[in-house]
Order: sequence, then C-alpha cells, then structure tokens
Amino acid sequence: MNLFLGLLENMVLAAIPAVGFGLVFNVPRHALIYCALGGAIGRGGRFLLMGTLDMPLAWATLLAAAAVSLLGVYVAQRMRAHPKVFTVAAMIPMIPGVPIFKALIAVAQMQEKGTTDELLATALQSGLTAGFVVAALAIGLAVPGLLFYRRRPVV
Amino acid sequence: MIPVSSHGKPSPGGLSEPEQRTATRLCVETGILLLQHGAESALVETVTRRLGLALGVERMEIAILANAIVVTSLSERHCITTVRRNVDRGVNMHMVTEVQRAMLDVEAGRLDVTGYEARLAAIRPLRYPRWLVSLMIGLSCACFARLAKADLPGCGLAFVAATAAMYIRLFIAQLHFNPLVNFFVSAFVATSISGQGVLHKIGAKPEIAMATCVLLFVPGFPLINSVSDMVKGYMNTGLSRGMGALLLSAATCAGILLAMSVWHLWGWL
Repeated sequence: MNLFLGLLENMVLAAIPAVGFGLVFNVPRHALIYCALGGAIGRGGRFLLMGTLDMPLAWATLLAAAAVSLLGVYVAQRMRAHPKVFTVAAMIPMIPGVPIFKALIAVAQMQEKGTTDELLATALQSGLTAGFVVAALAIGLAVPGLLFYRRRPVV
Repeated sequence: MIPVSSHGKPSPGGLSEPEQRTATRLCVETGILLLQHGAESALVETVTRRLGLALGVERMEIAILANAIVVTSLSERHCITTVRRNVDRGVNMHMVTEVQRAMLDVEAGRLDVTGYEARLAAIRPLRYPRWLVSLMIGLSCACFARLAKADLPGCGLAFVAATAAMYIRLFIAQLHFNPLVNFFVSAFVATSISGQGVLHKIGAKPEIAMATCVLLFVPGFPLINSVSDMVKGYMNTGLSRGMGALLLSAATCAGILLAMSVWHLWGWL
C-alpha cells in the first residue's frame, strides 16, 4: 500500500514538470499530454524498479527511459513527428539537476577554500551520479533506434 | 525510384541545373531550421537527405558542424555544395514537428517544390505566453521540491523563487543577452529569493527549496542531445553541445555562489 501511494505521488509529481518543461521546449499543444504521460511512466517506472528490485539508479533510469522511448515510437508514428519532440521533456523529471549543481559548487569551493576530503568526495560522487544518469537517459531514449530501427527512420 | 543516368545522357526524370540549385537550397534551409531549433544531428541529417531524394536529387551528402551545416547534392554527375551558418534560436519542438511533416508530405507526393517552399516560409514558431511558462515552471520546481521531501512552505518558496526566476530569464532572453549572462543573473535572483526562506526559517527544511528552485536552469535538452549525438556517431556536435550545456551549468553555479556569499548562506552543500 505504501509502495502504491509512493508510486502515485511520484507519477503525479513527475507529470507536472514534464509539461512545464514541454512549454519551455515549445512542444506542440496536442503533444503535451504525451509529455505528461511519458514523465509519469518514466519516473514511476524508475521508482518501482528501485523500490522493488533494488536496482541501482543509473540502470533503473536506463530501463525507464527505454520504456518511455518505445512507447514514444508508437505515439510518434501516429502523430507524424519525431518521438524526441515529446520524450525529451518527459525525461526532465529524471534529470539529475541537484547533483550537477552540487558537483560544480563543490569544485568552486575547492578552488576557493582548498581541497578537503569531504569536498572532493562530494564533487566526485555528485559529478559521477550526474554523468551516469544523463548518459542512461540519452542511451535509453536511443534504444528503439539501436535495437529495432537500425537502418530505417522511426517516422 | 529516381532514374540513374548513364554517361552524361540526361535521364528522363533528372533535374536541370536550376532545379537542382533550388532543391539544394531548400534542403540546406530545412537542415538549418532543424539545427537552430534543437533537433539532434541524426534527425537533421535524415530529414535533409530524405527531402533531397524526394525532390529528385540522386544523392545527398550532409555534414553537420558545431555551428554550420554543409549540404552537397549530386545529380547528373554535377555537384552543388552550399553552407549555412547556425545561430541558436532556442529549443522549439513545434518548429521541428512542422518542418518534418512538410518533408513527409513531399515524400508522399502531396507537395511539390513550390508548395514546400511556401509551406516552409509560412511556419511561424509557436511560443507559449511568458506568464504561463513562468507559472508552470514555478509549479514544476515546487513538484521537484516535493519529490525531495520538502514541506508545504518549502514547496511554496520554491514556487515563488522559480516563477520569478523564469520570468526574468525569459525577459532577459528577449533582450538578446548572451545566455550565459542570462543564466548567471537569473540564478542569482532565484537563490536570493529562496535564500530568504533559510534566513527567516520558513518551514522545516527551506534548504530543499534553495536547491530545487534552480533546477529550471539545468540544460536538459542540450545534455540529452549531446549524449545521443555522440552515441550515434556525431562526435563534434555532441561534444560542442555537451560543452555548451556544461558552460550554462557553470554560469548558473556562479550565480548561485554569488547569492550564497551575498546573503551568507551555506546551506545545501
């Protein structure tokens, strides 16, 4: 029950930013609903994979992004538009924003106040998390092209 | 199928030189429109190539550089090459969709050269109203705060700070400032507003609002495009997009640090 509530909260809280950033990316109005759905499925899927199977963050992100991307292909072919038009906005709730800034701020602090073990650990840990998750998102989105649409366009 | 000529004899369906010239120009303009509005390199290349072939060119070669696109069309053993400089116009998926749909119509035979040219010229990029974008981004950052286990005042703080910052970011962008300057200033404003929550102890953990209200500055689209470009073999565009995203993040980070030292806040590290 607790897992279910957590999943529901995650999905709703992810759908809103996906639409919000869809507006920033000027996603066409009729595709915004797919941003919301993709955001909810992606973040919800990642939550489930990490919560039930204890999967590491990057791997769970990769699988969630791949799932959204595969569903995106189906929608894109009906909409006659490239899936990235709405799947990238759907990935935004999974972008590791806080780790990116944490790493950069730690690096700036190291320059200013000298390197300590703590700052170095923060910079490395956050920077690696950010890098791995971003890579997982992008590779996950590329999965349909890498596996199924190898020599033909999706749309 | 496109007829292939043998030894200089013009094939029945081959293009004349002015026709080939027009087709090449339309192709390069299509490519540059996609590149300017944030399409990934693989999409730019395939759409441009398919358009050229649909317009009757025998072969298309496209090279995408960090800030330019080169298109060569081959027809009747004649090459025409043309280059366009790329100026970033900001991510606009509406534009990408419309351009791709026009190309699909040419491919399906519903649109000819003049029709395509008119269609391309008629596309007006969609822009959502500034107040709507700002409010939705504020709401988005409040959701991020909630996902990071902030309480209600914390979420409210993130909402106010992010809405104001997004509005300022869009306003500065309209004045054609360098995006780095823009992100630096807007991030300073966002952290200054959310920092007041830490100074005045609003809610249980106002530090979360401070960390999440700057998430609107994460260059998510360039980051994802960067990695997917590199995965698909477009190393130079991938690297330049990634470097651009890193610079924007660094500018944001500088804005955050300035606000932190102005208000003496060392909360969320």
